[in-house]
Amino acid sequence: MAWFGRGRGEAKGLSRLAQAGGPVGAYAAAGLPDPATPAAHLRLLALDVETTGLDPAKDHILSVGFVPVSGRAITLDGAGQVHVRPPDGHEGVGASATVHGLTDDQVAEGVSAREALDLVAAALTGRVLLAHHAPIEVGFLSAVCRAAYGCDLPVRVIDTLALAQRAYPAHVEPPPGALRLWSARARFGLPVYGAHDALMDALACGELYLAQLAELEATSSRPVTLARLASSP
Amino acid sequence: MALDVELAEIRDFLAAQEPFADLPQEALTRLVPRLTVEYHRRGTAIMTPGRDSVHLYVVRSGAVDMRDAIGTLVDRGEVGDCFGSTTLLGGNPSTFSVVAIEDTLTLAMGAATFAELCNDHREFGEFFDAQRTRRMAGAVAAKQASASGGAILKTRMSELARKAPITVSVRANVREAAQVMSDAGVSSLLVMDGERLAGIITDRDLRNRVLAAGRDGTTPLADVMSANPVTARADGLAFEAMLEMVARNIHHLPLMDGDQVIGVVTTTDLMRLEQANPVYIAGDIAKQKDSAGVAAAAARLPRVVESLVAQDASAADMGRIVTSVGDAVERRLIALAEERLGAPPVPYCWVTLGSRARMEQALAADQDNALIIDDAAQPADLDYFAQFAELVTGWLVEAGYPRCPGDVMATNPKWRITLREWKHVFGEWLNAPVPDAILRASIFFDMRPVAGDAQLYAELDDLVRSQAPSSKRFLSHLAGAAVANEPPVGFFRGFVLEKEGEHAHTLDIKRGGVGAVVDLARVHALALGLPARNTDERIAGAVAAKVMGAARGADLRDAFEFISYVRMSHQAAQVKAGTPPDNHISPDELSSFDKRHLREAFGIVRSAQSTLGTVYGTGKLG
Repeated sequence: MAWFGRGRGEAKGLSRLAQAGGPVGAYAAAGLPDPATPAAHLRLLALDVETTGLDPAKDHILSVGFVPVSGRAITLDGAGQVHVRPPDGHEGVGASATVHGLTDDQVAEGVSAREALDLVAAALTGRVLLAHHAPIEVGFLSAVCRAAYGCDLPVRVIDTLALAQRAYPAHVEPPPGALRLWSARARFGLPVYGAHDALMDALACGELYLAQLAELEATSSRPVTLARLASSP
Repeated sequence: MALDVELAEIRDFLAAQEPFADLPQEALTRLVPRLTVEYHRRGTAIMTPGRDSVHLYVVRSGAVDMRDAIGTLVDRGEVGDCFGSTTLLGGNPSTFSVVAIEDTLTLAMGAATFAELCNDHREFGEFFDAQRTRRMAGAVAAKQASASGGAILKTRMSELARKAPITVSVRANVREAAQVMSDAGVSSLLVMDGERLAGIITDRDLRNRVLAAGRDGTTPLADVMSANPVTARADGLAFEAMLEMVARNIHHLPLMDGDQVIGVVTTTDLMRLEQANPVYIAGDIAKQKDSAGVAAAAARLPRVVESLVAQDASAADMGRIVTSVGDAVERRLIALAEERLGAPPVPYCWVTLGSRARMEQALAADQDNALIIDDAAQPADLDYFAQFAELVTGWLVEAGYPRCPGDVMATNPKWRITLREWKHVFGEWLNAPVPDAILRASIFFDMRPVAGDAQLYAELDDLVRSQAPSSKRFLSHLAGAAVANEPPVGFFRGFVLEKEGEHAHTLDIKRGGVGAVVDLARVHALALGLPARNTDERIAGAVAAKVMGAARGADLRDAFEFISYVRMSHQAAQVKAGTPPDNHISPDELSSFDKRHLREAFGIVRSAQSTLGTVYGTGKLG
């Protein structure tokens, strides 16, 4: 079982970070949410990153947006978005500007990657990280964490893409594009947003989760817990 | 730190909705972070009577039904609508139920935020006060609204009795009374004993109590009048008079001011009260002395439809009324043309085709007509009918019936032929059908005589009804065309998706909606040799002949009524807005209720089409 298999590395990371102090230390000290937590009491942080590419080893974060989810509601007062300036010696937004529309000037006024991690850690304390195709978010945050503290960022993760995938039987290949955030939302009649920055995408992901959760709870005879919703990080 | 929490998308969404549109920009910006977003699956309750509710909700996507404690639908909330304010203003627990009827995303604010906004922004608070009053009134208000179309509810009876009453002494005999009625041109007399109203005598009394009873003119009036008649007070409403007359089956009602009689109200007076009364318009049209007068009278028709929709008339009734007015226009213009050109050299029959022939005309209809000329016509006589057709169709254009784009009009020499030629044309269609020709010809199988010698039409109709049922290839082509005219179910495909603005198209509700049922019913009627032209009657005929199940028939008639009703409502809304009525409905103007029912209606039509395909073998087209 995934929960036990990764226990040791996770515990090591948490204890190392807890000693580091600051927001990341506080995050680690608070511990990770209990897998048995029922969905109604689960606290999550829907998060989206805009990056220069897909490889955390070469590419870097340009913007982070997040919005908290408590049980079955998104609470907009915890919403945040921050631009992240490239590490010294790295090029700016480059060709990726065509994807996210961010400019070099915008990100140059942003915070450092480490400050962004502090911000995320503060918002994520006691919460589950919620993202659409979460390996990107987890990979990039961990890369920043490794550079700063020498270890991955331990997180509990729910991935709305993985949940969307589960709606298809194991042997059925979903139609191309069906699992993308905006296609997955369309299946639930969720509205289309004009803007696509990290914050709106985080909100879009949070709304999709609420719809997926409602469907799961309506069709499931067993209680829906974090353990049933979670993906391996 | 450059923490940017601007959720512009949500702010802009609110700014586009009443009553948030009235809030200043910075109030909206401050409001957004105080909202929560929730998702409610279709069928789940968001508010429940007897339970506390502490939020004001805004529908972000989806739709909800609001019902009062006994389950009456009070309102339907769609994107941008608010609910929950009645409980916030009136106190817990909620007296309403709110249930998501689609998967619904809501924005919610707490009671404190709501109170603060009401307090700081007067218009915002007033909006919810008004909404609360409206929803409290609920279903009752909805019923009243549907009946409030007529002036009859507002007019006092004294305004109707403009003329002094015509009276006769109680000591007169029947012949003297009849003489007074005849001279004054009235259908009733008040019978007076001095200043006192002693009775009333009407046309009907003279017929029933005098002539039919074998009495003569010297019979004393007092013996046959209705003594001590029912009266009405002059300050009462016309509406009450109408109820009284309907309840007692009387047509004349003396009006009293105290104990003085001041006039008589008749059922005709009450009908004329309605400026937009179709009977009145048709009568008016028949009196016109020229084409311009006919056009002016016919111009009132769109208003009639608007008021009929307001009064919640059925689409079938509206179709008949629009048809009757159209017939009146055509008949009057034909009479005027005969006056202008002189009597026709040989008998003819002017027939109307298509929707008016079926008694289903809506607004924005083209003219579709043809002439059947008696076989006695000599080549020289045909000139008369050419001029005649030119004149009538030209005047019809003036009266608001545009020329048929397909040139199915009596001005087209192909459709202005003798009965013998018509029989030949129909014979070709029935016996040697060419698919394309059949498609274009289907309109001729909905034909009704409007003016002239109806016997000419009857002979043609006999031929069609006797031959069509055995013309298998013809029926198969016609059925194929009917089945091919698929209702636009795609218009609604994933009706949740279409809210994302992917379908900029409008729905042609005439062609794809109404037309699909019409085509279907026509095939059945021709196959069975039914005399019926009306779609409703044709479906009933198919059920009676057991080629269609009773349940299917009932469903199809309901579907037809609903689709037609949506079309009429659409046209009434256009008339109200001052735009020319048409048949193009955009999805935005349909409520989710209409959409759901239209989709069901189209589904019914589709399944009826597939049955038709099986019965008449449409697979072998071509």
